[in-house]
This record gives sequence, C-alpha cells and structure tokens, in this order.
Amino acid sequence: MSDDSSGLLLAGVGGQGVILAGMIVADALVRAGHDVKQSEVHGMAQRGGSVFSHIRWGSSVDSPLVPLGSAEVLAAFEWAEALRWVEYVREGGAVVADLRTIVPPGSCTDRRSWSIRYPDIDPDLLGRRTLKTRIVDASSTAAELGNIRAANSVILGSVAAFLDIEHVHWEAAIERLVPAGTEAVNLTSFRAGCEVVEASIPPRPADPDGFPGPHEIDIRHEWCKGCDICSRVCPEYCLEVGIDGELALVDAEACTGCRLCELLCPDFAIAVSPPTENVSRGELVASAGDPP
Amino acid sequence: MTDVRDHLREWAMPHVLCPGCAHGIVLRSFLEAVDEQEIDRNRLAMVAGIGCSSRLVGYVDFCTLHGTHGRAPAFATGLKMARPELHVVVVTGDGDGLAIGANHLIHAARRNIDITVLLLNNSIYGMTGGQAAPTTPTGAVASTTPGGNTEPNFDACKLLIGAGASFVARVLAANPIEMTRVMVEGMTHSGFSFIEVVSDCPEYYGRYNGMGGGADMLTWMAGREVGVTGPLSSKRFVNHVPSSTAPPGMATGIIQREERPVFTGVHGEGSHGP
Amino acid sequence: MSGAKLVQGNEACVRGALAAGCNFYAGYPITPSSEIAELMVRFLPDAGGVFVQMEDEIASLATVIGASLAGSRAMTATSGPGFSLMQEHIGFATMAEVPCVVVNVMRGGPSTGLPTSPSQGDVMQARWGTHGDHPSIVLAPSSVGEVFNLTVKAFNLAERFRTPVTLIYDEIIGHTRESVVFPDSVDVISRPRPNGDPSTFLPKAAPPDGVPPMPAFGDGYRFHVTGLTHDERGFPTTDPGQAGALITRIHDKVTNHQEEITEIETLMLDDAEIAIFAYGIVGRSAHEAVLRAREAGIRVGMIRPLTLWPFPYHQVGEVAAQVDTLLVAEMNLGQLIGEVERAAAGRSEIVGHLRADGEPITPTDLVAAISGAGAVRT
Ligand code: SF4
Ligand code: SF4
Repeated sequence: MSDDSSGLLLAGVGGQGVILAGMIVADALVRAGHDVKQSEVHGMAQRGGSVFSHIRWGSSVDSPLVPLGSAEVLAAFEWAEALRWVEYVREGGAVVADLRTIVPPGSCTDRRSWSIRYPDIDPDLLGRRTLKTRIVDASSTAAELGNIRAANSVILGSVAAFLDIEHVHWEAAIERLVPAGTEAVNLTSFRAGCEVVEASIPPRPADPDGFPGPHEIDIRHEWCKGCDICSRVCPEYCLEVGIDGELALVDAEACTGCRLCELLCPDFAIAVSPPTENVSRGELVASAGDPP
Repeated sequence: MTDVRDHLREWAMPHVLCPGCAHGIVLRSFLEAVDEQEIDRNRLAMVAGIGCSSRLVGYVDFCTLHGTHGRAPAFATGLKMARPELHVVVVTGDGDGLAIGANHLIHAARRNIDITVLLLNNSIYGMTGGQAAPTTPTGAVASTTPGGNTEPNFDACKLLIGAGASFVARVLAANPIEMTRVMVEGMTHSGFSFIEVVSDCPEYYGRYNGMGGGADMLTWMAGREVGVTGPLSSKRFVNHVPSSTAPPGMATGIIQREERPVFTGVHGEGSHGP
Repeated sequence: MSGAKLVQGNEACVRGALAAGCNFYAGYPITPSSEIAELMVRFLPDAGGVFVQMEDEIASLATVIGASLAGSRAMTATSGPGFSLMQEHIGFATMAEVPCVVVNVMRGGPSTGLPTSPSQGDVMQARWGTHGDHPSIVLAPSSVGEVFNLTVKAFNLAERFRTPVTLIYDEIIGHTRESVVFPDSVDVISRPRPNGDPSTFLPKAAPPDGVPPMPAFGDGYRFHVTGLTHDERGFPTTDPGQAGALITRIHDKVTNHQEEITEIETLMLDDAEIAIFAYGIVGRSAHEAVLRAREAGIRVGMIRPLTLWPFPYHQVGEVAAQVDTLLVAEMNLGQLIGEVERAAAGRSEIVGHLRADGEPITPTDLVAAISGAGAVRT
C-alpha cells in the first residue's frame, strides 16, 4: 500500500505551546477524516528547550516522522527555529514564521539578540526560492485581540491557509483543546491568522561600534584529562577531543557563552569569559546551527 | 565575573581524580556557592574523611582538614563548637559517610549542629579499587561483588531524615546550577544540613557495570532525575529521558527542611551542678 | 594543712586541666573515668569552655582534635577499651601535630576485662598503640596531687611540642580521695604561633627545635591538615626524602627534648644494693616498702619515673650500673620490665614482681620480694 501522506512540522522553544498546537492540528485532521500520526520530540534541551512536533496524515500513515524535504508546511513559532527546520519543507511548500526571537535562556552572558549573533530576520536566509513564506507577528496580533497567549492560534490560522481542511474542524479542535475560558479569544485569533497580512520586518539594530566578538575560551591543557564531557555537552559543537586525548576548540565562532563546558568540566580546565573585543557585522556569520 | 579557580591551590593541581570523575564538577559548583554567599575564605573550614571525594579539600585555598576514614563529622563538630564563627563544611563519600562513618553522621544530624555535609555518592569505593559500598545497588557489580551485589543498599536521604537532619537534599552532579542553588540553601540553613550529590565513578562503577565514561554516566543520571519539589530548574544539561524509569533513590531537590534548636554545646542555666 | 581540699584523683585531673587553661572537653562514658566528664560539664561552662558528650571514643578524640585546630586547649578521658578506639586519632594528632591531652584511667584488660579494678596493662599500648613510627609522651602520676601537677604538665607539653600527650593512671588513683593543697596558679605554656605573612606561610616548616608554629583555623592563615605524609606546605607527598624527613622530625622534636619532658623521683639510692623500679600506684607501695626494708637493715632504694615515655633509659641505666638487683614491680605481666632490661644492658640482675589479677601490689608484697632470694611471680 502506498503511503499517500502529507506532513507538517511545528517548531519552537519550550514554553511556547508547540505541543498544544500540534494536538490541535492533529485533532482537526482526524475530524477531517484522515489517518493521523503525531510525535513530539524534545530536542537538544540545552537550547532552552527546543521543541518540535511532527504530524503526518493521509488515508493510511506508517511513520509519524516527517522526512527531510517533504513537509507541506513548517510552522515556526520563533525565527531561528524557522531557519533550523527549513530543510524539512518540500519544494513549493510553505513556511509560516513568527517574528518572535527567543535567545536561548541562560545561554549567553549578554542577552541582547545581536550580541550572540542571532540571525537577522530576512526571508532570504530561508534560502530557497520556491517556498511560500508568510512571516507573521503573532504576538502583536493576539495582543490586539485581547490575549497575547492566543498567539499560537494566529499561527495556526496562517497554517490553515495552506492546508485543505474545512474551518469547522479547526474551530472544533481549538474549542476542545485550549484552556477553558480562552476559547473565544483563540477562535478570533485563529480567524485573524487566516487573513493576517505579511508583517513588516523590523530594521536591523544600529551597530556603530561593531558587535562583541566570540567568547573567550581558555583551556588549560595541563589540567585537562580528555574525558570528553565538555565536548559532549557543548550545544554548539565547539569542542572536540582528538584521538590523542587532546582537547581542541574547533569552532570558536559558534560559542554562545553558555558556560556548560566550564560548569561540567571536572578538572577546572576550561574558563569561558565574555568577549573583550568588538568586531564589525561583516565578520559575523549568521548561523542557527544544524538540526539535531 | 570572578573565576572560581581563584579558590584553588593551583600549585597542587591537576587533582588526583580520574578522567570523567564528576567529583570535580561538585567542587566547582561548591565554589560557585561560596562566591554567591561571599564567604570569607579565612572563615571557611572544609573537613573531609578518606576516599576520592575527601581528596577534594586538598585543592581549595580554605582552612582544610583531611582527617580519618569516616570521622569528618566529629572533627567538624569540634571545629564548629570551638569557633562558631567558622563556616564548616564536610565533604564525604558514600563509603566514608555511610559505612565506617555512619555513626558520626547520624549523631551530628541528631544534635543539629550547624554544619553542612556534602556526601558524594558514586555507589562504590573508588580509592581502594572498586569494592562494593553500602550504596551499591542490589545486583550491581563491584570487585567484591563479582556476581552482582546481593545486599540491599542505603538511601542516604531517608537515613538522615530518620536521624533528625533538619535539612536534607539530593542533587545530581549532572546539574551544576541546581547543585549550587541547593548548596547555598543548605549552607544558609541554620542547623545541620545534608546534601547527597549523585556523582559518578567511570573508572570502576562505570566500567564494571557497562555504563561508559563520565559523559555517559552524567547523561544516564540526568535522565533519571525526578524532582521532589516540582520543577527544579529550567535547565537540564543533558538530553532528557522520561522520568518514569527513575529508580526511587534518584528523587532530587530539597526533601526536608525544618527549624529546630541548633546545638552549640552551651549548656543552659540549671544544668550546672554545685 | 591550710587550704587543703579532700578530692578524688579524677577531680584533681579536672582541676589541673582547668588550671592549665583547658577550654574544651569531648568524651564518652566509661568506668573508671566517667567522673572526669561529669565534673567537666559542671565546671567548664563557667570557665568559658565547651563540653560535648560524643557517640564514641573515636569521635571524642576527633572532636578534641577539631577543637584544638580551632585554637582550643582540648582533652578527653577514657579507660582501656576506649583508649584502644582512640589509637586511630592519637596517630592522626601525632602526624598532623595537633596538641591534645588524653587521660587513660586504667582498668583490667584485655577487652572489657575488669572494669572496676586497677591495672597497669596499658603502658605499652600508650607507647605503641597507634600504627607506624611515632614518638609518645606518657605521664604517670602516683597520687592525687601528682594527678593535678601532671595534668598541667600534659597540657604544657602537648602545646609546647604540638603532639598528643597521654596521662595514664589506674583506677585506684582515679577514685582515691586525698587532701591536696592546690596552687593558686600554674605556669601555662601555649603552642608556638606564626607571625609572618599568611600568603607565604608554610604550615610544616619547622625552626631548629622541630616544632612548627601553629595558627588556628579562622586566624587568617589558610592551610591544609592531613594524616598523609606531607611536605612543608602540608600537602601530601610520597617522596621518600620528604617522608623520611617528616617522620624523623616528628620523632626528634620529642626525643631531642627529653630533659624537658622527663621527670623522675628517686629514693635512698646512694648506698643501695637493690633498687625497686615502679611507677603509678605501685610507686607508693614501693616507697613504703623501701622505708620498711631499710628499718630491717636492707640497703634498698627506688627509682620512679613520672614520665614513662620517652623512657628514661639513661637514668635507669645509671641505677643499674650501681645496684646488684633491679626489682621491677608492675601491675601487668611484664611490660616496662623489657625497657628496664634494655637500659640495664646486663649491668644488674633484673627481677620482676608482676601481677595482673585486679589486685594492687602492696608494700608487704614488695618487702617480701626484697627479702626473698629472688623475684616472686604471682
Ligand atoms: S571536560 Fe575538562 S577534562 Fe574533560 S575533556 Fe573537557 S576540558 Fe578536558
Ligand atoms: S564552548 Fe562552552 S560556552 Fe561555548 S557554547 Fe560550547 S559549552 Fe557553551
């Protein structure tokens, strides 16, 4: 039996309600008569709880996981997550991305977005011309409608615009699953999301003095025992222990200054300190990292 | 930002512990707790017994006492009673504190003397080469239990609660920020505070029981954490595994906290004879 | 006697400790030493000191060492079974060079033995009880007044040489009441203190007399204390040169100052052909026996060490060179008699008058022994 299924991916960071949104999509799809499989994955938790949900549906679905390059729609609840997961979308598919930027909590010593080279909000960064993109400002829209916590329904409305499911099913799913008492504002937010206009992209922050350079990572090789803990916990894959047991800093640029390596080194062999030098924007490489 | 390495006796480093042994992580978290409380180094006494965990005190630039096997709580009692202005912290292990020294530990808890005990539990005797400890889980392999341990093991926190400890907590070496937070809570608690730190021993326990190296063991323990006081920290440092598989001994957080009269040794009036 | 007080030996010990500035006591109940703890808890708080009853004797001495490291003049008291448990920390205090005083009110052994009977069975344990090579300072009073004096001396020697000092006496002295005139004040010696820069302080660097200055925890000097063999920084080392130097220094700081430590009483030795070697309670019987034997025309004298360890080989050897017979009287089956033989080195005949049945050796026993042809082994 051939798998005629379609896939959808929801991605955000912990606490954004990605899981609930995934349940609503799945419920709407079931109501529309599809066989649905859904899975939630808590990914590299170090990223401040990167959370994503795979949903697949059709007449008969085998695996819940959406293969690379096959998703109908990617709904990113946060801008960097859109960049992280865009590879999953098929040619001609759609990306719905919220303007929200969430710097991973605790992962830097300076939480201004530019100081850790948070990627610019620029559709070109999504990289592929054949995508349909819709960048929304869900939080502002939901706030205008009375409850900022209904932002996810705005995103779901925008997702609905790309899917062939009747609105009664969406609305029934929302009414059943959102917290009691918030049904009305979530429904209005959903409807607003269906029609929402492309948000205007905020200007880049001015950088007259340039931006802080990478964090300084001081490794005391004479104390390091090559135990591999730091390289295993670094969320950005900055460190590597070679076969000779010697620790090397392989990607200083990617360091966000989270200090996990420092805190978990049993031998006091690493110290991470904030950048002391500024660099100009041109030297910075925008990167949201690879999906795990 | 101060570097906690300022508290080390740098000339004594690197320390003697094996690669991947999490005891060093615990020491670092402790030094963060010292800095957070802005404790005067001259007033901080660290007392240890014998074993891998006890070696830690040799590397910190405080007043440090590396005593005899299991007796650290008794040395600490003398220090604290003679000089109440000292912050007195005991570093002990599961063999040191729960086998040979269990008597001293429970009596210090019963008296409610104002000291903090950090018990680094790696489920085995490391310094002597991997023999079974009172904390070695039933079935686990050690050099003296080659066919698997046939004895049941202690739950250190339950033991200390039974002994009357007024502050009891368990933390994981895999979670340094939580460790520091709980250590600050324990050290500022007035009375006896006991903190069991689940640590690792990759060299013996890990090797004998097929658990991999230090990084693997930290991942393992983090996956089995169950907070007893609700969500502990938004930060979990190693990939999270559902907690339903957690053995009962891994419940983490502050398990017991109560105010009780603190023992100082000053006898009230009326206790004097003629 | 004006100002005389009728006190028990154990009370004299407490009075001596307080006079010597003792301000910390930790102990565990055991017969026949318990009166010391019971009196300490009554008197120490008023003297600004601290008392704690610990969970066992191991903990008691550990607590005493902790208090001493914090600057206290600290002591504990026990009897044979507890003294066995304390050996671990007598070794630690020796190695870490922490002043403390241990009182052992001896009873019959081994094991639980004769809890309420006197004995001198622990005098070799007091020398060699803890493992490894180490010096020992052991003082043995024979009267209630001497208990007071030697308790003071025990504190002063402990502080002067940074080492544990054992005061050892038997159940009879502990429980006997005698009238004693206590001095208004006594000389008190304190441990040497450093006065240099804390940042360059070497905790185990010793001046020529072998006793390094000792700060207390909390004084502004931060240092490491360990029972492992260590270097001048106080840090563990296995280097044979450093290890040998440490053990030798710890040993020599005591043996090189034997004249400061040793105290001996002699009686009527000038023309003596026989000398009794006795210590502790037996010394009193020996004293009486000498007087009675002299009345009978026997030329007998006595040598009684108040300092058992380091053993006064030189002084005993001199007596051995002079007399024909040395009669060694001990309430054990022969412990210090071996040391007397070493000191005599064949220069006199050595006979023992030994018993270990819980009964004291009386003057009558000793007179009989002196008058008899040889030694009486009972
Ligand atoms: S955690 Fe520390 S000891 Fe281990 S490899 Fe990294 S730097 Fe070296
Ligand atoms: S190198 Fe260290 S501080 Fe930098 S991202 Fe990796 S773990 Fe964090």
